[in-house]
Amino acid sequence: MNAQVSLMAGEAMPPELHDLLNSADGAAFEKALDALVREREQRVFRALGLLARDLHDAVRRLGGDLAQEGVPGSVADARKHLEDVLEMSSQAAHRSLDFVERMRPQADALAENASAVIDGTSEGEVAHVLAKQSQSFANACRDGLADFVVAQSWQDLSGQRIKKVVNFIGSVENSLLELVSLTGALASGEAAAGPVKVTSQDEADRLLSEFGF
Amino acid sequence: MKILVVDDFSTMRRIVRNLLVELGFSNGLIQEADDGENALTMLRNNAFDMVVTDWNMPNMTGIDLLRAIRAEPSLKGLPVLMVTAENNRDQIIAAAQAGVNGYIVKPFTAATLQEKLSKIFERLAASGATA
Repeated sequence: MNAQVSLMAGEAMPPELHDLLNSADGAAFEKALDALVREREQRVFRALGLLARDLHDAVRRLGGDLAQEGVPGSVADARKHLEDVLEMSSQAAHRSLDFVERMRPQADALAENASAVIDGTSEGEVAHVLAKQSQSFANACRDGLADFVVAQSWQDLSGQRIKKVVNFIGSVENSLLELVSLTGALASGEAAAGPVKVTSQDEADRLLSEFGF
Repeated sequence: MKILVVDDFSTMRRIVRNLLVELGFSNGLIQEADDGENALTMLRNNAFDMVVTDWNMPNMTGIDLLRAIRAEPSLKGLPVLMVTAENNRDQIIAAAQAGVNGYIVKPFTAATLQEKLSKIFERLAASGATA
């Protein structure tokens, strides 16, 4: 930052103003005051102009960096990585659900067969005891599989958060690109240099002129 | 009973389908849509008995789907169960005002799904009897 502003806040009163304050010439006093105010305004405008140029240079450098180092590319990569995570977690959850769908009919069949054996045997028989154990095991499996299915909803809940982050990255990326294209630094996808610089300077000047510089 | 399961996550559609089958609904009669827009098209073209929908979806959200269903004469009586991670008060109130039949906050259990479904059917049966 090279803007230097001094608004005479701490300075002593200029001698000519001091003299005028004590004189009876009202018109000369007003004229001197106007000149003083105008000079102050011009200092403020110059300082603002320097600030605006610094800001413009900083944004232009950012544009150059983005174009050279491909930061938008790595932002897109970050988004892609998250989308990959989303896809992988979805596949993993589906594989778990495949497992449940494979096991459930087996648990159903075991429960059914056990029930038939229980009906066809009398208490005390080894087959009867075993069939009862099988039946309770099959029922426990069915309950466990249902819980297993519900547990896969982690993929949906975490996936929704990942989607939000992906959207957020996209909006940051857009804002960044908008900021850069505002300066024209990314005019042809190249680093700001040569003719691009002229364009951006023109744009900067045009922008500055809108603020009265 | 023909049920339409609406969710943009295929995992969640499959989970809901699994639980519905577990509760005794016929797997062959359950269909899926990945957003409100597609769901609405399916509902217009086929007779369904119930909709189970997520809230957060691209193109058309669950709440907009619910409002669209209530606004359409041929669909307005369709029971809609919302299954969503959205658990803030305003959203639940918005769903209630839009005429939702049940609201389940994710993650949920098979028992919760069963409880909400039976409540929906009880209420429908009661309103059917008095109508």
